[in-house]
Amino acid sequence: MTFAIQTDVKEQTPTAAEGLEEKVAVRRLNFYYGGYRALADINVNLFQNKVTAFIGPSGCGKSTLLRILNRIYDLYPNQRADGEVLLDGENILTPKQDVNLLRAKVGMVFQKPTPFPMTIYENVAFGVRLYEQLSKADLDARVEDALRRGAIWDEVKDKLDASGLSLSGGQQQRLCIARTVAIKPEVILLDEPCSALDPISTAKIEELIDVLKRDYTIAIVTHNMQQAARTSDYTAFMYLGELVEFDNTTRIFTNPKMERTQDYITGRFG
Amino acid sequence: MAAVVADARYSRRRHTNFVATALSIGAAGFGLTWLLLILVVLVVKGVGGLNLAVFTEMTPPPGSAGGLLNPIIGSLILTVLAVAFGTPLGILAGTYMAEYGRYANLTMVVRFINDILLSAPSIVIGLFVYEIMVARMGHFSAWAGAVALAILVIPVVVRTTEDMLLLVPNTLREASTALGVPRWLVIRDVAYRAARAGITTGVLLAIARITGETAPLLFTALNNQFFSWNLNAPMASLPVVIFQFALSPYSEWQQLAWTGALIITAAVLGLSILARVLASKKVLT
Amino acid sequence: MDMALQSVPVQVRVKHDDKQRAKVLRGFRIGDRTFNIITQASAIAVLVILAGVMLSLVIGSLPAWRAFGFDFFASESWNPVTEKFGALPAIYGTLVTSIIAMLIGVPVSLGIAIFLTEICPERLRRTIGTAIELLAGIPSIIYGIWGLFVFAPFFQAHLQPVLIDAFANIPILNQLFAGPPYGIGLLTAGLILAIMVLPFITSITREVFDTVPPVLKEAAYGIGCTRWEVMRRVVIPYTRVGIVGGVMLGLGRALGETMAVTFVIGNAHRIVPSIMAPGTTISASIANEFTEATGELYTASLIALGLILFFITFVVLAAARLMLMRIAMKAGG
Repeated sequence: MTFAIQTDVKEQTPTAAEGLEEKVAVRRLNFYYGGYRALADINVNLFQNKVTAFIGPSGCGKSTLLRILNRIYDLYPNQRADGEVLLDGENILTPKQDVNLLRAKVGMVFQKPTPFPMTIYENVAFGVRLYEQLSKADLDARVEDALRRGAIWDEVKDKLDASGLSLSGGQQQRLCIARTVAIKPEVILLDEPCSALDPISTAKIEELIDVLKRDYTIAIVTHNMQQAARTSDYTAFMYLGELVEFDNTTRIFTNPKMERTQDYITGRFG
Repeated sequence: MAAVVADARYSRRRHTNFVATALSIGAAGFGLTWLLLILVVLVVKGVGGLNLAVFTEMTPPPGSAGGLLNPIIGSLILTVLAVAFGTPLGILAGTYMAEYGRYANLTMVVRFINDILLSAPSIVIGLFVYEIMVARMGHFSAWAGAVALAILVIPVVVRTTEDMLLLVPNTLREASTALGVPRWLVIRDVAYRAARAGITTGVLLAIARITGETAPLLFTALNNQFFSWNLNAPMASLPVVIFQFALSPYSEWQQLAWTGALIITAAVLGLSILARVLASKKVLT
Repeated sequence: MDMALQSVPVQVRVKHDDKQRAKVLRGFRIGDRTFNIITQASAIAVLVILAGVMLSLVIGSLPAWRAFGFDFFASESWNPVTEKFGALPAIYGTLVTSIIAMLIGVPVSLGIAIFLTEICPERLRRTIGTAIELLAGIPSIIYGIWGLFVFAPFFQAHLQPVLIDAFANIPILNQLFAGPPYGIGLLTAGLILAIMVLPFITSITREVFDTVPPVLKEAAYGIGCTRWEVMRRVVIPYTRVGIVGGVMLGLGRALGETMAVTFVIGNAHRIVPSIMAPGTTISASIANEFTEATGELYTASLIALGLILFFITFVVLAAARLMLMRIAMKAGG
């Protein structure tokens, strides 16, 4: 049951003509777990300095798609991608692409907060030290900057030597965000970042996303439609491994073009 | 805006990663090579003396040909006795730890002590049994050897029994209890049945462990040149005979030592593989 | 007829079942109490065994303690004729061979564990992993005879001369590695112990590595870490306690090992600077001499050695278990 969506998407997709730069362009992407095709012919864009949300029911492939963008799927032998993913015009799926460099440009925050077994300071400094040699003063400044951008500086500035694991769940997740921005990426991928958190932490992080988008291009996967509506500029609705509709968030939620999108948004199925 | 990746720094990181990977592969190769070497030598030297006589004739006096019949039978007898003594005690203890005493302080202590016994030097166990049995009785005996081996069997069986019983989901037990079945029958008919494969695996592993154990037998069952069923007298066992023959200057004895070593290794590997196959087949639902 | 049945009051029928049921329930209670007692006694039996071992070693070695006191630990003599015994060479040998085994065995084991968890291709992983676990079960007497007939001659002919020459002009080291090349000795025994201990430490380390949540590793890769950086900065610190526990279990094994060492240690109750010289370990002494020990003091001295060994291994194993318990709680929590 495939939808004849390829041409539809091209028509719907907001283009560079509207003054938007394509930071990441996904073209004809297919993804396989062994012999099973999990993503079929995906075409979508992430626009510079905009937040793009990926929504859809469980198992529709939204996390799978996100994990292709920083090639983290490479860690697992049976998984294979086919097609093109262009970051600033260069295809990152070619074997020639250096994955470590890619991941320096494209950062990821995971569903479960994962502070490293180090102090709070080290968690952030670790990534910076990988790429740059800074004096202590510069490094301190960089760590502070990252923690501020992660909206957690005030809460940890007096206990930078405490273990990262001593923070609450919401704080840990903001630490992970700080850690990611510390290495100055260009794109940030958020994979259901709030699903393990309480409502107050969730609200804090959603505020944070709004600020982060000024400096970074953001993609967020979420199973919470209201979150997508609140935080994103563009939304992609996925179903069973296919991209059903991709459009301006307001338009998707008020006047979706595809019936299936309409059904999902109104809760006909979940 | 983009991360400035200083080329020198990154290539140094890549270099370190390469060296570490190479060392790791080297370690694997090094370790595996030695282990495989031992196996290969064992097979080559052992097979050389492998013939029917090994299984049908008794150990020879120095300088003549013979077989390993009495040590093989002796080892089998000792193993059977050790398992007969050690397994019931081990299963019962493991049952207490997983069932009646699951949250008791006694269980924590027993588990700790049991794990220490599991890795304790077996020669010390031999000394213990010497003191309480051989010295007391005034002579070496197969009984003493069996008891020494039983003490090695018990910790393995206790550990696996407890682990396997703990794996049985409580919902199964609750369903049975809700019918009014008493605790001991719930254990016998539900828990044991569910953990049966795992507990059997534990017994197989225990047997694999005592096969080839030499030290505890050195001064309990000692050795016997001749064929003997007498459990009250010293009894020959394969590991002790290998020990004696290998250290001797006689080439026939040395050959028999290699062949005996091959037989022991084959038995241990066979039991271990059997235990694994059994463990993977019966997966608890 | 129906009328007759219907006229029987219900209570009478139930009371009949009640008596039967009460009998069954009483049987159940007795059964439970008995089984409870039997199983508890069996669990206590485990403790009794350990206590028994300690007690019998203490009692059996008393003559030696009475005769030598603490000099037993410091004395190097071992003379069955004059009945003067000292534990120092045996303790020295036990410690030195175990340390050599750890120095070589631990890095190699870590390397193999890292190889298996991160580098090895998926298809080979299970085969090699299973092979290593099976090899962990090979009885030590096999290592012993292999060591005596294969490794020692090879070592003597090819490796020892190289070592002696290599260190000949370096002070201190040239005493440690001094000739003549016997083939057997402390170093040989240590190397064989190292090979023995490899599969054991490798499997524990692998299990411990597997407790690291994949998300944590992905987060590190996500930042752009190389594989080695992930291992070194995330996985190993996370599993540090477990690794130490595993290493100490391996050490406990090495300390108590008898057969792998007895064949190649050379059985000399003396201490010399060179590690290539023959020596003895506690378990080798007991294994080699116990059945021929005549005289109460000789036997008691050997049992005293056993007591010392038991004490050392008890401490090491207890510490190891405590550490492994901590990482088990961390993984579960």
